[in-house]
Amino acid sequence: MDQYLPLLLIFALGLVFAVGSFAASRMLGPRPRLNPAKLGPFESGIAPRREPPARFPVRFYLVAMIFIIFDIEIVFLYPLAVMFNQLGLFGLVEMASFALVVFVAFAYLVSEGALDWGPGKRAGSRSGAPVTRSVSATVRRVSRPGAPTPQASPWAARGGEAAAAAGGPAASPASAAPKARVVG
Amino acid sequence: MTIFAGTAGPGCTISNLVTSEAKVSGLCTAKGSLSIPVEYRSIAPVLILGVAALVLLVLSATLPKRRYPGLWAGLTALAGIATTVDGIVQWANLDNPANTALTVGGQVLYDHFSAFFAILFGCATTLGAAISDSYLSREALDGPEPYVLMLACSAGAVLMAEAAGLITLFLGLEVLSISLYTMTAYHRRRAASGEAGLKYFILGSFSSAVFIYGAALVYGATGSTQYFEIFQFLTGTVVVHDGVLLAGMALLVAGLGFKVAAVPFHFWAPDVYQGAPTPFVGYMAAVAKAAGFAGLLRALMLALPTQVSSWRPAIWVLAVASVLVGSVMALVQADLKRLLAYSSISQAGYVLIGLQAGTQAGWSAASFYLFTYLFMVVGTFAVVGLTQGRGEVRNDLGSIRGLGQRNPWLAGGMLVLLLAQAGVPLTSGFLGKWLVISAVIGKGQYELALIGMVGAAIAAFAYLRVALLMYVPAAPTPARPGQPRGEGGGEPAVAPTGPGAPSGLAEVAGDLEALATAGLGATATAVALRAPSTARLRVPRATAAAIAVCVAFTVFAGVSTPVLSLAHSIGLTWSL
Amino acid sequence: MTPAAVNAAYAVVALPLAGFVANLVLGRRLGEPKAGWVGTLAATGAFAAALVAWVGALGQPSASRSFDLKVFTWFPVAGLHVNVGLLVDPLSLTMALFVTGVSAAIHLYSIGYMHRDPGFDRFFVYLNLFLFSMAVLVMADNFLFSFLGWEGVGFCSYGLIGFWFQREVAAVAAKKAFVTNRAGDMGFLLAMFLLFAHFGSLNYSAVLGGLVGGHPTGLLAGAPGAVPGTTATAITLLLFLGAVGKSAQLPLYMWLPDAMEGPTPISALIHAATMVTAGVYLMARVAPLLHYAHATAWVVACVGVSTAFLAATIACAQDDIKKALAYSTISQLGYMFLAVGVGDYTDGVFHMLTHAFFKALLFLGAGAVIHALADRQDMKQMGGLARYLPVTAVTFGAAWLAISGIPPFAGFWSKDAILASAWEMNKVLWAIGALTAALTAYYMSRQFALVFTGRARWAEARPTPGGALAGAGAAFAEGEAGAGHAASGPGLPPPPHLEARPRDPSWVMAAPLVVLAIASVLGGGINFPAWHLDFLSRFLHPLFPATGAVASTATKWALSVVTTILSLGGLAFGLATWRTAEHPVLEPSFLRRAWYIDDTVSAAVSGPVQALADGLAYVMDRRLVDGFVNGVAGLLATSGRALRRVQNGYVRSYAFGLSVGVIALLAYVAFRVGS
Repeated sequence: MDQYLPLLLIFALGLVFAVGSFAASRMLGPRPRLNPAKLGPFESGIAPRREPPARFPVRFYLVAMIFIIFDIEIVFLYPLAVMFNQLGLFGLVEMASFALVVFVAFAYLVSEGALDWGPGKRAGSRSGAPVTRSVSATVRRVSRPGAPTPQASPWAARGGEAAAAAGGPAASPASAAPKARVVG
Repeated sequence: MTIFAGTAGPGCTISNLVTSEAKVSGLCTAKGSLSIPVEYRSIAPVLILGVAALVLLVLSATLPKRRYPGLWAGLTALAGIATTVDGIVQWANLDNPANTALTVGGQVLYDHFSAFFAILFGCATTLGAAISDSYLSREALDGPEPYVLMLACSAGAVLMAEAAGLITLFLGLEVLSISLYTMTAYHRRRAASGEAGLKYFILGSFSSAVFIYGAALVYGATGSTQYFEIFQFLTGTVVVHDGVLLAGMALLVAGLGFKVAAVPFHFWAPDVYQGAPTPFVGYMAAVAKAAGFAGLLRALMLALPTQVSSWRPAIWVLAVASVLVGSVMALVQADLKRLLAYSSISQAGYVLIGLQAGTQAGWSAASFYLFTYLFMVVGTFAVVGLTQGRGEVRNDLGSIRGLGQRNPWLAGGMLVLLLAQAGVPLTSGFLGKWLVISAVIGKGQYELALIGMVGAAIAAFAYLRVALLMYVPAAPTPARPGQPRGEGGGEPAVAPTGPGAPSGLAEVAGDLEALATAGLGATATAVALRAPSTARLRVPRATAAAIAVCVAFTVFAGVSTPVLSLAHSIGLTWSL
Repeated sequence: MTPAAVNAAYAVVALPLAGFVANLVLGRRLGEPKAGWVGTLAATGAFAAALVAWVGALGQPSASRSFDLKVFTWFPVAGLHVNVGLLVDPLSLTMALFVTGVSAAIHLYSIGYMHRDPGFDRFFVYLNLFLFSMAVLVMADNFLFSFLGWEGVGFCSYGLIGFWFQREVAAVAAKKAFVTNRAGDMGFLLAMFLLFAHFGSLNYSAVLGGLVGGHPTGLLAGAPGAVPGTTATAITLLLFLGAVGKSAQLPLYMWLPDAMEGPTPISALIHAATMVTAGVYLMARVAPLLHYAHATAWVVACVGVSTAFLAATIACAQDDIKKALAYSTISQLGYMFLAVGVGDYTDGVFHMLTHAFFKALLFLGAGAVIHALADRQDMKQMGGLARYLPVTAVTFGAAWLAISGIPPFAGFWSKDAILASAWEMNKVLWAIGALTAALTAYYMSRQFALVFTGRARWAEARPTPGGALAGAGAAFAEGEAGAGHAASGPGLPPPPHLEARPRDPSWVMAAPLVVLAIASVLGGGINFPAWHLDFLSRFLHPLFPATGAVASTATKWALSVVTTILSLGGLAFGLATWRTAEHPVLEPSFLRRAWYIDDTVSAAVSGPVQALADGLAYVMDRRLVDGFVNGVAGLLATSGRALRRVQNGYVRSYAFGLSVGVIALLAYVAFRVGS
């Protein structure tokens, strides 16, 4: 049991620190009188009716993926270089096939338009879905007047048991809005 | 064909490892060069699936951007068939015990178990692709991506079954999981799909962390992550302070228990099943479960057989909880996909029952169960995918109402699949449950056998509810006067008990309705009885073929022995 | 070594199955009459296959004609090896031949009979399923597989009795048949459990022994002590209970007369020729076991002969043409059981064959009559039909002479052989059997006379408000008879209940009649008891244990003469008496009401038993069972709804649940540390 003592101590310390921090802020911090106005953003003005949209063009993600592809390739090339003599032909072949795999991913990304920055060149989606449906429909759905306001928790299950019992697609737009916040 | 790069003197087979320097763990040195003996046939399924995924990517990058109906699904199915055939060939090859090997740097086990699961995942890929095609084109989602993900997922699954160590297992687990997260969220225009994907991702990452923590603890306790070395260490050493080891084991069980949706790690399943694109759910239910169990069986039976007295009670509790919670919860669901999710939880419980027996009978029963469950669940979700309508507008129980009229063949097939899941004799489901239960009876655990049967009896009602609903006439909804019904083909709208309907038939229908909705809440009953369209349901050809295969196999495996004998000859012990 | 031709046995089972599937899938689309032709083709193919297998078996030495064709093993687990396989031996071949042969004829007949019935394709679906089940029943190589066929024919019988389920009588009769058969099936099931407990197997060859390399083995070889007498008695008695239910013997016979509500071809095929003989087949199959169970043999013989007699008396006073035939069937089945009981299995099978020919023919003939008279079944309303239905009359006549036991028609040879064996066993058995033979001749003659001779009573319209019609109808009949009455004008309408004058059926219905008539006349030839023409006996001989004493030739002759005289007496009396329809003295009400047995049973059931059942039903069902079931269901639903709260859709709750699970596992592990 002795060997685990330090481990236990660390756990205990962590716990003490966590609990302590909360307790300290409770005790030491100022205790404001909370009222709806105080809780509102900017403590005044008109309360926003929905989360502000924070949307990034998907191309940024694509560029990030291209970076990762080459990043990973380089990471694995280093050990190969170090061990090249020992690994011999086998290592070379393995590395080549690895590079090929990575290259396929790159080719796919390029074909998907990761490097096309011009506006509207590839408006048509290959999936055959009409543009209006794939892009604008989402936007309109989120901001549609009369749509239920986002709930406190971003991913509260509208699909939970009770909602399922109530049934129907009526509730579906509810959780679409907070998605951006979660992803971002 | 045995490929050793370099002249590896003694092959790194399992039996040799006992005597020779095991610590080298397969890194055989010859002529001063470091080379890894690779038996390519052992990883052939992974290669086939992986290369197929790459081929799909290359094609999608090079072909002109337009729709290719059936191309991607066809290629995927082809890869699945190739995997299946390869698995069968390997199986035959492995009938010679000398071919069993520990290869690829000791990371991959080449044995009957691997071949069995290669066949399983090959079938799953083929069927999954076949049922996805029509769904994706209906939802305007088609493209190569889901199939690439599906192939990657299958490759990961095969790797999990083949893994000879916790690291490889984790590698497979992650490949599988990440593909599944993406597939779950694939329906871009359905908020529930994205939500489900996110939930699955967060909880899945959590469980992966738990798993890897467990692997680390096991490594700390035994000094290795390789099953064989762990096993050797534990047989050769009396571990006095086994706290770390047992904690590691518990975390491994928890991590893999999440993948197979065993209670209490099941919370994600209903939400994910409900949100994910329906055909993918069928595929996921079959593959994730089988892969998780393959990993669990390998880890517990190969690495930790010495700790059997420690893990059996834990698995016992998981099994009982899964069977009971899954069955009971399935009873009160008004959503078809959620109902099937709980059903899959209870099915996982039965596999766990087989697993906890810890005997040859137990693991062969579990393997058989997984194999046959694949066909049941894929077929079932294929049918659900057809009845739910474009945009997955209706997944509730009512959507299946009247299927017997809308398409009697489909309803008949669904009936067989449902009965199989309920465990009715002459279906593979019955044989699976029977084998599992007889395995624990063989261990003298009558209480577990009893619980298993009670669970089956409870769950049977949930399945029968669906089966009954299929044959409740899809009464035309009472339309407003003067307004012809939309899809009904222009026939005049009549109330269910209108003068046109024979009173006897209406009475029977009423009884069926009452029976089919017994025990549901008031709102759920209303949902379940909301009549769908009465238009005849057309089944796309590939989907129809897949469902037919599923039904045929379910009956075939229930009345014949080939699958059974395959499962029976799986060994999960070290042949020392 | 199995000769190649024997493998045709697979087709005997497979073809009806294929026909069933084809009709099930395509029946609606094929419609009439193609669905019927598909079914007929399947049945004929099965018959041809049976012939091929039979020829193949004949090529082997007589003691080596037993082949086990294994299809696959179902359930190779834990000691219980259930095969799905076919046993091809003389007995199963004989059964297969006559079952498929008679089936083929009746399939053909049905195409005509079911003409314009809305359920035409459904009918053939059932018919082919029946044939498949029957083939499985007789050709299975183990008890369980046979039982599958046994249940299958039971199901088809249920479905076909209630084929016109819109008629309440039919639905009730179907239910009755089903319930009665369940009682018997219970016996079969229990017998199987006992068999498995004692022999550890359900295979016929393992239990009963067989012919291996030309030598009998096991029980068949007469290995004494292979099975204790009490076990053998128990098993065979239980099997006999199953047989009693299926073959409508005392006391479970009541369902068969009611089963006549089904279409007539069904009565001919299932409730006369094939299914009801399944019990006899079963008893013959377990002959090696029955050999050690003397008590059972006695019971079988006594039940058989008393059923034969009782049913014959009832048949004497029935007005419904099909009911009379049904009682006659019960009576003839009694003869078969008598044969089995006295150890004369060969002649039991022989009588089963000849009976199949003539009884199927009688039913088909009756069907033709019913058809011709627009669904009229009361014999008292028939008469004089010989002139209108010559083909039917002649073929029916052949069957009538055959069942009456008039030499040289088929029935004579088989019945005579059974009675001779009974004589050797016990004189009383013989006496009752012979008396029954006379009764049989009498009631069949009564039937023939009522239907085909005498006045054309069918033409005399029933009492109607306007008496004019009756006269017109009679005039019409007389005119059509061509008796020279000029009174009949060409413009006279047919009688109100008939659309046209009765006439012989179309060729699809007539051809089976002719074929079966030929079989009924010459059928005795397959086991002619002289000049080494007893083919059937020699074919079946190796399968049955040697019986005791065999009657001497002189005795046989003497007995034959006596029974023939008795039969001729009954025949003459019946024919002479029933030229006219009214002889109340000969139809006492206790016979008309079938000895009040059905009434008594009904009264007993509806009286105190019903009250008891009601009371029990209330206490047990409402209070205990329903309460329990509802309680459990309520509990489950409630707990399900409670558990649902946990599933609230919040990832944080799910993660919390996961963590709780992990912590619980860790806590458990903490308990085990160091143990």
